[in-house]
Amino acid sequence: MNFLKLAARNVVRNSHRSIVTIAAMAFACAMMIVFSALMEGVIAGSERNVVAMNTGDIQIHQQGYRDDPDIYKLIESSASLSETIRQAGFVASERLFAFGLMASDNSSSGAQLRGVDLFYESTVTDINQHLMEGHWLEEDDSHGVVIGKKLARLLDVSVGDELIFVGQTADGYMANDSFRVRGILKSIAAGIDNSGVLMSNTMLRELIVLPEGAHQIVLMRTDRQQDLTQVTEQVKTLVTQNLEVMNWRQLMPVISRFLETAQVQTLIMLLFTYIAVASIVLNAMLMSVFERIHEFGIMKAIGVRPWQIVRLVYAETFIQTLVASIAGLVLGACLTWYLQQYGLDMSSLADGMSFAGVALDPVWYAVLSINALLTPIAFLFVMAAIAVIYPAAKVALLRPIEAIHHQ
Amino acid sequence: MNLNTLAWRNLWRHKRRTLITASSIAFGVLLAVTFTGAGDYFYTRMIDAGANMGMGHITLAAPDFNRAPSSKKSLQRVTQLQQQLEKLPEVKDVMARIQGQGMFASAHKSVGGMFFAVDPKQENAESNLFIKAMVEGGMPRTADDKTIVLGVDLARKLKLTMGKKVVYTTTDKHGDIVSAIARVGGLFQTGSNEIDGSVALLPMHSVQKVLGYQQDEVSVLAVILHDQRHSHQLRDKMQNMTPFSQVEVLNWQQTQPDLAGMIAVDKSSNYISQLLIALLVAAGILNTMLMSVLERKREFGVMMALGLSPQSLFLLVMLESFWLAVLGLVIGVIVTTPWYLFMSQTGIDLSGAYGDGFSFGGVLLDTVFKIRLFKESIIAILIGLFSLALCAGAYPAWQAGRTPPVESLKAL
Repeated sequence: MNFLKLAARNVVRNSHRSIVTIAAMAFACAMMIVFSALMEGVIAGSERNVVAMNTGDIQIHQQGYRDDPDIYKLIESSASLSETIRQAGFVASERLFAFGLMASDNSSSGAQLRGVDLFYESTVTDINQHLMEGHWLEEDDSHGVVIGKKLARLLDVSVGDELIFVGQTADGYMANDSFRVRGILKSIAAGIDNSGVLMSNTMLRELIVLPEGAHQIVLMRTDRQQDLTQVTEQVKTLVTQNLEVMNWRQLMPVISRFLETAQVQTLIMLLFTYIAVASIVLNAMLMSVFERIHEFGIMKAIGVRPWQIVRLVYAETFIQTLVASIAGLVLGACLTWYLQQYGLDMSSLADGMSFAGVALDPVWYAVLSINALLTPIAFLFVMAAIAVIYPAAKVALLRPIEAIHHQ
Repeated sequence: MNLNTLAWRNLWRHKRRTLITASSIAFGVLLAVTFTGAGDYFYTRMIDAGANMGMGHITLAAPDFNRAPSSKKSLQRVTQLQQQLEKLPEVKDVMARIQGQGMFASAHKSVGGMFFAVDPKQENAESNLFIKAMVEGGMPRTADDKTIVLGVDLARKLKLTMGKKVVYTTTDKHGDIVSAIARVGGLFQTGSNEIDGSVALLPMHSVQKVLGYQQDEVSVLAVILHDQRHSHQLRDKMQNMTPFSQVEVLNWQQTQPDLAGMIAVDKSSNYISQLLIALLVAAGILNTMLMSVLERKREFGVMMALGLSPQSLFLLVMLESFWLAVLGLVIGVIVTTPWYLFMSQTGIDLSGAYGDGFSFGGVLLDTVFKIRLFKESIIAILIGLFSLALCAGAYPAWQAGRTPPVESLKAL
C-alpha cells in the first residue's frame, strides 16, 4: 500500500485530534500572516512618512549646516547643481530655511520657515497631499503659508487666520511680515509638526533677503528598487563642490535601525507562537504514535524498515501541516486583504502617535506581500518537522516483540 | 475515593503527555510574565519621565490652556491651590510652573523653542528631569535671578556657552510681544534632540514680571504622584472637589496625547499577542484532555455503571484540567522566577542595537530592557490561566459526562 495513502488514512482515523491540531496550526498560521503583513504595512508607512513626506532619499547640505543651521551656510549655485542632478535621472528640489518667532492674536511660538520650490517639491515629496485642512500653496498667492499641526494648536489658528513673523534677514536687519494660513498639515515628524511653516521659495527669499543659493537640496530615486547606498555614491560624484551628501538612513539612524529591527520583532513573535504550536503537534503525534505501538510492532515484524516508519510518521505530520497551511493561507490572505483595503483604525485608541520623532498614521494598513504570506508557512513546516522528531524516533527504535505485547 | 485524588492520579497515567502539556502552560506563563512585565516596567518609566518633563502626572491649568496654550490663560491664587493639593495622600510633589513658547536670540541668531519658568525652591531632581540631566552649571539660584538654563543643542545652535547673554521673546498677558535678557547659568542634556534643541528653563519671578503676572499667578501646577496608576482616578476625584472647580484638571493622557497614544497602541498589541499564545496553549490543553477522555470511554462507562453520576464525571475531568493548570503553573513559576529576578534587577542592555536611546511618543526611552510586574498583573495572569484551562477542559468534560454506560461498555 502506498505510504501516503496509509498516512492519510491514519490522519483521518482519529478525526477529533487531527481537527484540533490542524485548526490550531491553521489559526496560528493565519494570525502570523496577518501580523507580518501588518508589520510590513506599518514599516512601509513610517518609511513613507520619513522619506516621501519630508526627508527624501538623499539630502545635500553645506558642510556643518545640519549641526548648526546657519542662514549663511548656503549651497551656492544650487540651481545649476539641482539641474545636473535632474539630468542624471533623479528628481530634486531646493529648500531654504529660516528661524524666528511666529505670532497670532493670542500667542506666539518659535518657528522654522521652510521655503519650498512649488514646482519641483511636488515631484520629490508628497507633502502637498498631506493636508489636514485647507489647501496647498499656490504660485500667485504672495502671503500664503501651510503650517504644522501642533503649531496650529499652539498658536490657536485655523485656515484663513493671520500670522506675524519676526526674525532676521541675511543682511542683518529685522525680518518682519504677515502671512495667511492656507492649510494645516497632518502629522509628519516632531520638528515640522511643532514648528514648521511652509511657504514658497520666492516668498522666503524676499523675506530674508537671500537672492541666490539654497540650504538644502532634497532628491529622490525615480526607481525605488535601486540600492540606496550605491545611489548615494553616484550622487557624490555629481557634486563637484565640497558639500555633505547623506541618505535618509544616515540622516535618521535611529529610525532606520528601528525599521530594520522591526523584521526581527516579527520573527520573534513568530517563534513564540510556533513554540506553542509545536507543543501541540508534539503531543498530538506522541499520542497518536503511542496508541499504535502494537500496530507498529506488527508492521516491524512483517518487515517494515525503521526509516519507512519514520517516513510514515513524517508523512502524517506533513499532511496535517499542509491542510493547516492551506487553511491558514486562505484565512490569513482574506484578513490581510481586508486590512489592506480598509486598514485597522487605531484612532479610537490614540489621537497621535510618534516614535523617535516620526509620526505614525492612526490607521494601519497591511501590505500583502509574498514574504508576509510565505514566511509563516515555511516556519510552520520547519516547526512541525522539529516537533515530530521525538515521536518518529521513538517508534523507529521500537523492538517488535515488546511492541506487539504492548497494551 | 476522593475525586481530587483520582484526578491527580489520572494525570500521571500518561506522564509524558501531561508533562508536555504542562510545559506548554509553563511556557505561556513565562511569556505572559515577560510581556506584561515589560509593559508594566516600560509604561511606568515612560509615564514618569513624561511627567518629569514639565507637566506632571496631573496638571492644573486655566480652562482651555491645554488645547491652545497662551499667556492670556493663567491660574491665579496658586499658593492656595498648592496647599490644597499637598493635603491629598496620593500626591508626592506639586510645582508651580509657567509654560510658554518663545524665541531665543544670541548675537549670532535666533531659534524658536519653549520655556518653563520654575521656582528653584520647589524643584528637585526627583520630579524634574532637567535637573537630573544637567551637564554644566545648575538651576537658577533664586526665582528673581536673570539666569537661563538651556538644552545643549539649543545652546550649540545659538553658539552660546556659560555666562553668555540670551534675549528671549514671547507674548505677554495682553498679547504684546515682549523681550527680556538672561545669562546662561546651566546646560542640560536629556539625550532627545527634540528636547535638547528647543527647551529652556527660566526663573519664576523674572518671567512673571516679563509677562505681567502677579506673584502667585502661573500657567500650570504640575502634580507628581507616588504612583502613576492613580492619575486617572485622582483626576476624576479632583474635578469634583470645590477648590478645583474653577480650573481644568488634566491627567498625563491629556497633556501628552502622543505618549498616551503610543502606550495605548503598544499595550493593545501586547495583549493581542498574549491572547494569541494563550489560545494556542488552550488548544493544547483541549487536545490533551479530549484524547484522554476519548481513550477512557470504557472506563467512564464502568464508573457510571458503578453509580457515579454524569455530574461527577464532568467534575472529574474539570478537576484534571484544573490540576494540569496547577502543575503548569508550578513549572512556570520554577522557570520564570530566576528569569524574572534577572530581568527585574539587571535587564538586557539593548544600546548596541538602538544607540543611546530614542523617543517614544516624544519621551526619551532608555535602552535597558527590564521587566517588573504589578500586583494586578499577577492576578490577571492567574485568572487568565485558570479560566483558559477550565474553558479548554469544558468540552472534554462534557463528552465524559454524556457517555451512556451501556454503549461505552459495548464499545470495546
